[in-house]
Amino acid sequence: MGSPADPVATLRAALDALERATTRGHHGRWSAQRRSDLFDGCLEELWGELAPPPGLALAALGGYGRRVQLPRSDLDLLVVLDGADPGEVRRVAEGISYPLWDAGFELGLVVRTPQECAEAATERLDSLTAMLDARILAGPEELLRDATVPVRRIAAGDVPGFARRLRAAAVARRERFGSTAHLLEPDLKEGGGGLRDVASLGWLQAAVGSPLEDAGLLRTWEGAAVDAAEGFLLRVRSAVHLETGRRADRLVMELQPAVAAEMGFVDEPGLPAADGLMRAVFEHARNVELVHDLALDRVLDEGDAPTVPDLAGPAQVLRALGELAEVGAVPSSALLDAVEAADVPDPVVWTPEVRDAFVGLLREGPAGAGMLDVLDRIGLLVRFLPAWDAVRCRPQRDPYHRFTVDAHLLAAASGIAELLAGPADADDPLQTEAAGTIERPDGVLLGALLHDIGKVGQGNHAAIGAGIAERQLRTMALEAADRDLAAFIVAEHLVLPDTATRRDLTDENLVLDVAARVGTPERLAALYLLAKADARATGPAAWTPWRQALIRELVGKVQRAFERGEMGAELAATLAERVDRLRELLAAEPDDLVDRFVLRMPRGYFLAVGPDRAARHLPVVMPDLGANEVRTASHATGAAGTHELLVVANDRPGLLSWIAGSLALGGISILSAQAFTTEDGVAVDLFEVEGAFEPEIDERRWRAFRSSLRRAIDGSASLERRVEEQRGAYPAHRAPAPITVTVDNEASEFSTVLEVGAPDRIGLLYDITRTFADLRLDVHLAKVTTFEGRVVDAFYLRDALGRKVTDPRQLDEVHEALRERLG
Amino acid sequence: MKLVTAIVKPHRIQEVKEALREIGVNGLTTTDVEGFGRQRGHTEVYRGAEYQVDFVPKVRVDVVVADDGADEVVDTIVKAARTGKIGDGKIWVTEVERVIRIRTGEMGADAL
Repeated sequence: MGSPADPVATLRAALDALERATTRGHHGRWSAQRRSDLFDGCLEELWGELAPPPGLALAALGGYGRRVQLPRSDLDLLVVLDGADPGEVRRVAEGISYPLWDAGFELGLVVRTPQECAEAATERLDSLTAMLDARILAGPEELLRDATVPVRRIAAGDVPGFARRLRAAAVARRERFGSTAHLLEPDLKEGGGGLRDVASLGWLQAAVGSPLEDAGLLRTWEGAAVDAAEGFLLRVRSAVHLETGRRADRLVMELQPAVAAEMGFVDEPGLPAADGLMRAVFEHARNVELVHDLALDRVLDEGDAPTVPDLAGPAQVLRALGELAEVGAVPSSALLDAVEAADVPDPVVWTPEVRDAFVGLLREGPAGAGMLDVLDRIGLLVRFLPAWDAVRCRPQRDPYHRFTVDAHLLAAASGIAELLAGPADADDPLQTEAAGTIERPDGVLLGALLHDIGKVGQGNHAAIGAGIAERQLRTMALEAADRDLAAFIVAEHLVLPDTATRRDLTDENLVLDVAARVGTPERLAALYLLAKADARATGPAAWTPWRQALIRELVGKVQRAFERGEMGAELAATLAERVDRLRELLAAEPDDLVDRFVLRMPRGYFLAVGPDRAARHLPVVMPDLGANEVRTASHATGAAGTHELLVVANDRPGLLSWIAGSLALGGISILSAQAFTTEDGVAVDLFEVEGAFEPEIDERRWRAFRSSLRRAIDGSASLERRVEEQRGAYPAHRAPAPITVTVDNEASEFSTVLEVGAPDRIGLLYDITRTFADLRLDVHLAKVTTFEGRVVDAFYLRDALGRKVTDPRQLDEVHEALRERLG
Repeated sequence: MKLVTAIVKPHRIQEVKEALREIGVNGLTTTDVEGFGRQRGHTEVYRGAEYQVDFVPKVRVDVVVADDGADEVVDTIVKAARTGKIGDGKIWVTEVERVIRIRTGEMGADAL
């Protein structure tokens, strides 16, 4: 604790008063200057008390030298000495440092001769730039001049060389800290477009020796934009210091709401206060980044004035940028001047030339996206894409995203261009195949560029974006097929990642529904490439092997559903038609009951069974089933003597065999059968039957069938012996026809398909399905047809754990058992 | 205290979280993991190109609970994660020596 006269205590009190003078959001440039003055006063006083010898001077460096001292920034000081006694130098340096350190200030103090200053400046750019900001605080001013004049000469003597060093330093900073202009948690000081870039322009001015505007290195609006950006960023950075109580430069998410409130941002429709703050930060930082780079370019362009083409209109502008992108060059400031001077109407009227030039830029990948970024920074991109305005500089708040919406869109578009054109990825064969499937790359590129265009603060961005993209795409002179593909992938870009990570990929209905929604292999390929480019443009955490594995599994299953013809655009249309018709037929039933029925039944059911029959099935299928309950319903069909029989029961191994056996016992012949299983494990089995010996099936026979089946299900009677007895009672009219058994593990994603051909006879289906039950195989789907005395049956089988049967030994066992039983 | 660790199918994690919240578990950690158990990896074939998927994506859930709460947590996870098909996952329970809440320094059950 110092006495009242203690200059450091006085300083502390004055700084505290300064902080209290206004809210945390209003400590901008004025406050930094006032703070700097307060430090000046304190240091002058300390210096006076120390009464240093004449060969010593005290100077402020860096930001403090520029009189920009932020609330928690450290203080950079230089003691210049010229032949002073080392003991005295030490006494003075300690006399300055200790009281400030003791009071908790961060202080960096270097002691150098003018000679040493020049040496340090030659070696290190940061020493050089710090000296360019040097300002005398106490002691003889000539002494500081002796130090700064040679240093200034280093910069001024070779302005292009100095500019190159500034540029290299800026590039290194951007590599390390990223961009202040689009990172969601930007570094306000060191990031690209941050306050260090503003200072960098100041150093360039010091080297040039006159205002940059006068030297033709900045145009008037550029200088004004940087000035405004500096004022704003200083306010934000001061608020961050005051909010955290320390020298923090990163505006992390959790600080943003408080800083926004302190700075007077308020919630607006679709733009919360914190997003408004961030948008302003990004806008300003983009101006700084652009102007900084332009100014350095202009210095370095001197002497070889590039020939600039005459840019008559939007197509020429895009083509000029496209040519640069092709060779990987950056636009010169002369070219940008020409671009700004070109006649680009707002909005642009798209012609085929404009469209081709625009898509040509997208095709160039990162270099092309860089050109669109440049166009955006000079305010022209929104003339091509008015919808862009709403996502420009817009932050997004989720744990994965690192960039603003517009930066993310450009990154996704450039990423997908690389995936489309790029070399095969050994770890991702699907990528190469998907790229090869795309016939309309333009649609894919544009879809990627617009995929998040619906992120305008209204929620549900895919649906909103679909409408916005549709309107935007319609202005762009595209072929209908490109437009449709682009609009489709905007609307559906979340289907693969969301389904893959949140839903059960072993659910066949799910896979078929995705296939129905996607419709074609090209759309599937486009969605896969976008999922990958989207994730990689999001941040390092988004495209993990974990996500990849799930998304690829889904894509593979959907792809195979297309290849097998289980689903596709046409089938999806048929399915939709049938379901619509079914809803009409069931208009009297509650909507949610019909919805549940549609969701619950396998897609193949609706494709195999017409809406009329399905409508009849609903009341039998939908009510909850008791564990051992079995429901049957029969219905005379058009053909004489034949009936449709519906059996509904909880699925279990053996069920189909009990039904078949009970039918045999009731004297009922099976003409055809279709067995389905719902996702929640209920068997819905359909039979076309006729009387075995007499054409009519009377009620007595139905009763016999039902009672046998009930007893088989609740385990009170064995069918085996009774079916055997019945078979013995009738002479076998068995022709020596061969029995065929084939296994196909490729025909279905989820089941092993086993086909059995055999001469028809009593209890044949019973025998086959009994064999499956003995081997603990579940019949998930069955198609049984009888044709001229021969039965051809296809069974979709799964093992007790719901898997395909792939073990060759187990398959041999099935073969053996079937031949033994049927042969 | 016990650490209950469960490996579950990705699409069940929402149910597991909700079920645990319902029985009053107010903190858990989830991690995207890959591994294999009886549901080995598999070979994927994309028109000619073939590659081996060695590990199956799963989600790992870690919950620290008081000793007498472990059984309920285990039962709840089993119910919520079960589909009856292969690959439903595993749960194991381990002894926890110490738990500290970093912000307050609270220890043991107070820190849960």
